[in-house]
Amino acid sequence: MRGTWTIFRRELAGLFLTPLAWVLLVFAVALNGFFLIALLYNSNGYVDDSLNYLLGIGGSFWMLVMVLPPLLTMRSISEEAKSGQLEFLLTAPVTDTAVVLGKHFAVSAFMAVMWSCVLAFGVALELLGASPDWGQLLMGYVGVVLCSTLFCAVGMVSSAMSSTPLLAAFLGFIFNLVLLLLPVGANSVGGEVGAWLTRYSARLNIGLHLQTSFMRGAFDTADLFFFLAWTGLFLFGAVRLVEARRWWS
Amino acid sequence: MISVENITRRYGSFRAVADLSFEVARGEVVGFLGLNGAGKTTTMRMLTGYLPPTSGTIRIAGHDVLKESLAVRRRLGYLAEGVPLYKEHRVIEMLRFQGRLFGMGRREIKRRSEEVLERVGLEGRARSLVRNLSKGMRQRVGIAVALLPAPEVLILDEPTSGLDPVQRVGVRNLIVELSAQRTVMISSHILPEIEAVCGRLIIMHQGRKVADGTKRDLLLREGGSQVRMRVNARRLEQAVVQTYVRERVPKGELSIVRADDEYVITIQTTEDPSRELGLLAAERGWILRQLTWHEASLESIFGRYTTGRAEAEGLVGA
Repeated sequence: MRGTWTIFRRELAGLFLTPLAWVLLVFAVALNGFFLIALLYNSNGYVDDSLNYLLGIGGSFWMLVMVLPPLLTMRSISEEAKSGQLEFLLTAPVTDTAVVLGKHFAVSAFMAVMWSCVLAFGVALELLGASPDWGQLLMGYVGVVLCSTLFCAVGMVSSAMSSTPLLAAFLGFIFNLVLLLLPVGANSVGGEVGAWLTRYSARLNIGLHLQTSFMRGAFDTADLFFFLAWTGLFLFGAVRLVEARRWWS
Repeated sequence: MISVENITRRYGSFRAVADLSFEVARGEVVGFLGLNGAGKTTTMRMLTGYLPPTSGTIRIAGHDVLKESLAVRRRLGYLAEGVPLYKEHRVIEMLRFQGRLFGMGRREIKRRSEEVLERVGLEGRARSLVRNLSKGMRQRVGIAVALLPAPEVLILDEPTSGLDPVQRVGVRNLIVELSAQRTVMISSHILPEIEAVCGRLIIMHQGRKVADGTKRDLLLREGGSQVRMRVNARRLEQAVVQTYVRERVPKGELSIVRADDEYVITIQTTEDPSRELGLLAAERGWILRQLTWHEASLESIFGRYTTGRAEAEGLVGA
């Protein structure tokens, strides 16, 4: 636990000391801001729908959540393995699990900070006199953070299995794409295979688990468990891959 | 302190380290010497537990490196090749991070940071960004970071590579100072570095240990030192010289070559017998023209071992 906390603090500080993180942050905030204005304008000032669109409904959300985690996690293991910093961490008196968790929590926290811009937009609208439904907005924020955490865990896996950061980012992006499109694409496959795929991929329908409870302002432990379980599974895989690196490298 | 038993490490079909065994006592300073690709870094990484050996066992301070990895790592200071520091951080932040990884308290970290920075001569640079430091300074920061938790065993992989001669001397002196209190293992492919610092040498070649011992042991085992005396004498009784050499220079191999009234006496030996030979010349009334002692260098030994001849000749040490 101590190791995880120590590594989390360093990773988070390290993230905010690199230009890439700031560029991504500014990009995400600008994009969300732009969409919010456009949505408010087009919906005649319908605040809740506009904010919800930014969190977990709209295309901009899925684009950001698919692209940003791989770009952030590519450094975590792949780049550090290349520069030797991973060797420094893996010879320090902390477990491999602590290293992976610390790094994952840091990247997830960064994503949480990034999504908090939507909360800031909510505050701004509140001050301007258009009060949003705070229960729904906050629950949506929790769901979005959980969802980002899952994608960061996928990024950790791709980072742990790649020899170069570029490959890690690319693989992470592909994994995310497959994860998101599998439930949608399964419908278009006919026959028995299609039915089988549809049945099982429905259990992995991230969008559904986010939109049916969190985005409506509801809290469902099944959905919470869904995100935590899948995140845990991917993190378990990432830890095993880091261990396996000792054998490959 | 360090006990290595028959470790082998393979990368696929390539065997980077083969059946390596050695022991290092507490307080010993051991130099790991070998050409690039000899298996030094792989061995160092196995000692730290970063790489598991394909077979064999390593124990540090009585703990198995794989089974009790955390106990080993708590006792270990390791400076990896290339000094992997977080360049975006300040020196003091890097030290704090290391301290926290080792579970040290805030006050202890502060006290030890001041101590180690003074030790490596970077007192005024605690607030400097690592990326703004010169390579030599970064190397010293790396050593400071490794030293912070006061480890019992210090493992330094190529600590002087890429440094200019002045920085190299600085780091070398630092290592000499450090070696007084702890077990140190240093790898290098630069012979004088190792020679200046280490009491004992392990020479690696193509993943195998080809020699192990103090410089003196290796010189004794390898031979190659000789004394050469040139004298003018009307008559030189070879039997007298032979008897004298047998008595005074045990294990010496004598040869005498005559050219007119000049004799060249050469003795292959491990100890310098110039004084005895000088006395003999004076006693016999020879005119001494030349008396020189040529000691075999580690370079020549290193060269022999790493060309593979040594193994063939059965010179591998214990």
